[in-house]
Amino acid sequence: MSEHHSTGSHEEHVHLPAPTHWPIIMALGVALGFTGIVTNLGLTILGVVLALAGAIGWFRQVLPREHVENIETTVEDVLVTTTRTEVERIVVPSEDRAHLPIETYPILSGLKGGLAGAIAMVPPALIYGLLAQHSIWYPINLLGGAGVANWRNPSTADIASFHLSGLIVAGIIHIITSLLVGLLYGAMLPMLPKRPILLGGLVAPVLWTGLVHATMGVINPELDARIQWGWFLVSQITFGVVAGWVVAHSQKIYTKQSMPILMRLGFEGSGLHHEDHDQAGEDRK
Amino acid sequence: MADSTLPIQGALDITPPAARKHSILEIAHSWITTVDHKKLGILYTVFGIFWLLVGGAEAIAIRIQLAMPNNHFLSPQTYNQFFTMHGTTMVFLVGMTIIFGFANYLVPLMIGARDMAFPRLNAFSFWVTAFGGTLLYYSFLGGSGLYGVGSAPDVGWFAYAPLTARAFSPGHATDYWAISLIVSGIGTVGTAINIVATTVSMRCKGMTLMRMPLFVWLFFVVSALTLITITPLTAAQIMLTIDRYLGGHFFDTQAGGSAVAWMHFFWIFGHPEVYVLILPAFAIANEIIPVFSRKAIFGYPAMAAASVGIAFVSLGVWAHHMFTVGMTSVSNAFFTLSTMLVGIPTGIKIFNWLATMWGGKIRFATPMLFLTAFLFQFLIAGLTGIMLSVSPWDWQLHNSYFVIAHFHYVLVGALVFAIFGGLYYWFPKATGKMLSEKIGKWHFWLFIIGFHLTFDTMHVPGILGMPRSIYTYEPDRGWGPWNLVVSIGGIIQGIATLVFAYNMIVSLRKGEEAGPDPWDAWTLEWTTSSPPPDYNFAIDPVVGSRRPLWDLKHPEDPDWKYEA
Ligand code: HEM
Ligand SMILES: [Cu+2]
Repeated sequence: MSEHHSTGSHEEHVHLPAPTHWPIIMALGVALGFTGIVTNLGLTILGVVLALAGAIGWFRQVLPREHVENIETTVEDVLVTTTRTEVERIVVPSEDRAHLPIETYPILSGLKGGLAGAIAMVPPALIYGLLAQHSIWYPINLLGGAGVANWRNPSTADIASFHLSGLIVAGIIHIITSLLVGLLYGAMLPMLPKRPILLGGLVAPVLWTGLVHATMGVINPELDARIQWGWFLVSQITFGVVAGWVVAHSQKIYTKQSMPILMRLGFEGSGLHHEDHDQAGEDRK
Repeated sequence: MADSTLPIQGALDITPPAARKHSILEIAHSWITTVDHKKLGILYTVFGIFWLLVGGAEAIAIRIQLAMPNNHFLSPQTYNQFFTMHGTTMVFLVGMTIIFGFANYLVPLMIGARDMAFPRLNAFSFWVTAFGGTLLYYSFLGGSGLYGVGSAPDVGWFAYAPLTARAFSPGHATDYWAISLIVSGIGTVGTAINIVATTVSMRCKGMTLMRMPLFVWLFFVVSALTLITITPLTAAQIMLTIDRYLGGHFFDTQAGGSAVAWMHFFWIFGHPEVYVLILPAFAIANEIIPVFSRKAIFGYPAMAAASVGIAFVSLGVWAHHMFTVGMTSVSNAFFTLSTMLVGIPTGIKIFNWLATMWGGKIRFATPMLFLTAFLFQFLIAGLTGIMLSVSPWDWQLHNSYFVIAHFHYVLVGALVFAIFGGLYYWFPKATGKMLSEKIGKWHFWLFIIGFHLTFDTMHVPGILGMPRSIYTYEPDRGWGPWNLVVSIGGIIQGIATLVFAYNMIVSLRKGEEAGPDPWDAWTLEWTTSSPPPDYNFAIDPVVGSRRPLWDLKHPEDPDWKYEA
């Protein structure tokens, strides 16, 4: 026996994603980007520009709020139903069981920590250079040497003198690695129970120094042959402590863990969003 | 019994369509910027039908060349280009796009959603696929340098190394081939992700996994399979591009690379791809056969499970395309057995379709005609496939015309027949007009006669030893008369396809009005008007069984009594 809920006609509003030309522009960019491989580098560049423009335009269509079209419609309010008992739809519980961590550090704190650690590492490295080889360029060239192309079997004097390219390459490697490790700290520290400085500052650097020790022969043989592992460990720990301290002392924010993954991914699933209060994460702040 | 000719009362929109006329420019703009899954589905389908005509024309040219011994209609070079382009077009631009068109149009409607999970990604995926396809054909213009007209790829759709090495494929045609597949692959992955996400997250109230139409189930499986298999293909294409541009040696045997590695990469993609193409045909069958038999599909859970099983097994059988390259006999035995394993879930499916038709009140409208032929032909293709999976047999038949006959039985006899059936079935939903039944019957009979003339006959020269991919042959081999019949059949199929194109155009303009539910069907897409409004359902539907409309129309005999 089916039930017909006929309550006559009435007005409804339906939100649909607004039309947009950015996806087609991005698609054209991607296609041209590849075509350039065969024809002309210029096309690739044009393609990349178009793809980027498309991506930016596209993001602006959905962030911070999705562009929608508001369609008015008159509907006959009749449901297709049967006597089958209803099945639960996905509900968004406000007080779900806590998943740990409840709070986390913002992404920015990881970057800050990485940067601070990067700066803090410099003095120990330079002191080591001065003490061991009477040159502050020695550790820098060792790190950057991997990027100085035609560097085969350099003498110790070579490594101890100033090379602009070595400095630049070392700087880039240093900054990028530090930022990445800083990000990792930001993400992982909340998972380490209780003593972030002990674990993040000491244990983790010791672990990865061991890892680097085992693999450096393959990654950068030059560095491997000349590295002083004691000093290496000291500067790593300096990094770990400083980065860990900076991260651990920044303001924590709530994780979005009590929102279902579908919502965090931005699906437009029926039953997920309630048209009026769909920003569940926001009222936590 | 409820009068099922009454208009269905669903969440039905009664807003009259806007009266205002739109200019051509406005209409074009609305199609280019659309993020509506229905419009994108139509775009995919139209795009696919367009390439079907192109790929069909290439097939006819190939068949004219082979109709007689010592023929010189095409040059050997052009012949190679045509069969390469034909294969590539049919698999990537026709099969993949039309089925994704169906999925785009129907999946959200069938699960009672307003759109796909990621509407903009959906638009992007379509356009990237379209541009990728265009790139393939651009090789005709740019293949041997920007102004060297007339050089398409000629390495076969499987592009075996070392044919693709620079030494054997100078110019850029092969690069266009690889790059176009990389680019359209991006779109394919996007759509597959979208379908998975949509099925997982957008089902309406009451639509549990076990109430989802089998059509949606199948596309769920197909999309997962696509995600797994496009990856190795793309990796292989990138490696090929590196070989050709950066002096890599992945597939260069002279420099320590491996040509067999390409085969593995290609068939790890290529065999499951066959199921990416055939499972949608099953999906269409699952909707049409029950509706026109007036019976619920037999063994719904078994059907769903068998689909997953087929997808699973298909991932492990790729090397049956490589029995003759000299693998170990253990591998040969393994791939023979695993290939035969596919027969079990496939058999379950065929049995269940037959059981669904058994004792039903079958109406042979055009969609059902096509699907009945599909069933029969798929059965035969499965049998010749089993023959090929026995490795000693394959040593005889490999690279012969027998193989071509086999896989066309599947691709045309099953997939294309199902697509035609599906177009007749859902065209009214998409356009509001019925396709003409009279022209449809012409289309069907011409096509089925052409099909059997071509592909039944084609087995014979294969057994007589005619290899595939040859440009021409000597008159003394005895293959001539057979080939002539094959070619005539091909031309009849071409004519039938034109009849179909004509049917679409005529019916679109002055076809019979369809109404929301012309076939007296059961799934949600038929509750809304034809064509559906932009938002599909004014109110999110609620379902309580696998056939919500049946329950509505037959309250005294609701479906849930029978659901297992
Ligand atoms: C019913 C189960 C099937 C079995 C047991 C089977 C078996 C085989 C085998 C053993 C071969 C290798 C022949 C050779 O190259 O010597 C083959 C080739 C082929 N099959 Fe199937 N097949 C099946 C279904 C399909 C389906 C559903 C499709 C497409 C929708 C398909 C398309 C192809 C294609 C395109 C080739 C040619 C590959 C090439 O270019 O060498 N097959 N099949
Ligand atoms: Cu296969």
